[in-house]
Amino acid sequence: MKTTILKLSSLALLVALAAGCVDDGEQGPVGPQGVQGPAGQDGADGQDGADGADGQDGDDGNNGQSGNLAVYTVSITNLTYGQPFSPASVVAHEPGYYAFVPGEPASVALEMLAEGGNASGLIDEATQSVEFLDAQQGAGTPPRSIGSETTLVVPTLDTDNLRVSVLTMLVDTNDAFTGLNAMDISNMEVGDQKAFMTVSWDSGTEANLETADTMPGPAAGAAGGGGASAGFSAVRDDVVDAVHVHRGVVTNENVSDPSREGLATSVLNESDRWDNPTAKIVVTRTR
Amino acid sequence: MKLNKLALAAMIGLSASGYSQAVEVELSITNLTHANYMTPRLAIAHDASVDAFEVGTEASTALAWLAEAGVIDDAQNADSSGQNFEAALGPVDTDNGSNTWHRFGGLLAPSSTLTYSFDTMDKPYFSLLTMLIPSNDAFAGLDSIMIPSEPGTYTYYLNAYDAGTELNDELNSTRTDITEEGGLPLGGYGVPGVAGAGAPNIAPSMGTGGTGVAVTVGFDENGDPLASPTEVVDGTDGPVHIHRNTLGDTSLTDGSSDLDSTVHRWLNPVARVTIVVPAS
Repeated sequence: MKTTILKLSSLALLVALAAGCVDDGEQGPVGPQGVQGPAGQDGADGQDGADGADGQDGDDGNNGQSGNLAVYTVSITNLTYGQPFSPASVVAHEPGYYAFVPGEPASVALEMLAEGGNASGLIDEATQSVEFLDAQQGAGTPPRSIGSETTLVVPTLDTDNLRVSVLTMLVDTNDAFTGLNAMDISNMEVGDQKAFMTVSWDSGTEANLETADTMPGPAAGAAGGGGASAGFSAVRDDVVDAVHVHRGVVTNENVSDPSREGLATSVLNESDRWDNPTAKIVVTRTR
Repeated sequence: MKLNKLALAAMIGLSASGYSQAVEVELSITNLTHANYMTPRLAIAHDASVDAFEVGTEASTALAWLAEAGVIDDAQNADSSGQNFEAALGPVDTDNGSNTWHRFGGLLAPSSTLTYSFDTMDKPYFSLLTMLIPSNDAFAGLDSIMIPSEPGTYTYYLNAYDAGTELNDELNSTRTDITEEGGLPLGGYGVPGVAGAGAPNIAPSMGTGGTGVAVTVGFDENGDPLASPTEVVDGTDGPVHIHRNTLGDTSLTDGSSDLDSTVHRWLNPVARVTIVVPAS
């Protein structure tokens, strides 16, 4: 019934339209939308999917306790023509410790190194100071050569105010030594390198007689002396008992020359001389 | 509140720049040589127009007086008036515009340290000179370093220079058996001989009887004989250069030198200077 009524009304509409536009009447108008049907039933569950790919590796964890330690290497280059260097005392420390003070008398520990090439006293002395951080005894360094590295380990906390002292004897002398005295190596980053050229000091603890029985090195040894017995002597017989810049060795060259320049008692010759600098010391932070 | 903070920040800014150079610095010098004394120190604070010495250039007369005789001003030696550093720089301890200077007196013994207070009067540079005795014309010099403005302790190592105004004959100036060419006695400014007088005796002391090192008694610089065999020529070996050290010998009565080769030699550095700039 409803449909009939609709058709009738649509016919009337058609007539009205036909009057305005030329319609051939073959196509009727679109009918109204029907009522929505009821919802369909749920479908059955699908099958499980395949396993996913493995996830990426996680970040590395933080370093353990050893990550709080900084590591430095120290190498000594012997710049002299003929003076071997004794095994060095290599010490890392906080500010305040000095192995020596220019113009002041040397400690007995320094005297042992400067006269006999024995670094153990200096290392003991440093170890007992409150500023001490680490110490190593290096190997000796022959003339004109780059010595082996020594390694120092200090807490990272101390790297912002750090000093290094390196001392080694010129063994064909009475009491000459070279090195670094509380040199500032603060705030070095990993990979940083600092190089220092050093002068030679006279410990002022022994007269520079240059004789076979007062020097420990090979030059004295070749003249029938040398060795430990010719090294350290507790007697202080230099002109002034104070650490000062070494004036060089006189040697026995030109001893019979009219100039009388040479020193008759010396067992050294011109090849044992040097000028400053006598050593190059390179400090590298490796961690 | 905001205004207060700004005012405080401005004050901090002022005080941070307030310690520029207008301070008395503490000046220390240590003699690092084995047996060379150092004559009274000439300390100069100055601007870029003042250059007390320059390697590679001829020494001034003022530098020659200092390096040969240890003389800085008229009070030390009236003969130097008009030629010394006092004449070159102006009156002592005043602001001379380009500089202010002071003579820190007394001999500085080997291995000893002296400390002074020095008013730099806002000058940007600092130089220090002192003669090494006994020597002909050797001096230790610090050449126009920038005066640090940040509080702290600053260390400098000084080399020995040769003023080049006198040949290094290494002859004892107290000797009377030889004279300068023309008959003048040895020693001091402008005549041969090492200035050693005034230094306390240290064992072993200077010798006599040497025949001369860089020049020989009785001969000129070319080796030709002089009219008198007891005279020494007064030559020069400039410009200013790093000193080649003394030679010396091991005889107190003959040999070539009146210096001792086991005593009077040095290697650089010869002095250490520290400057302490105080916190404002």
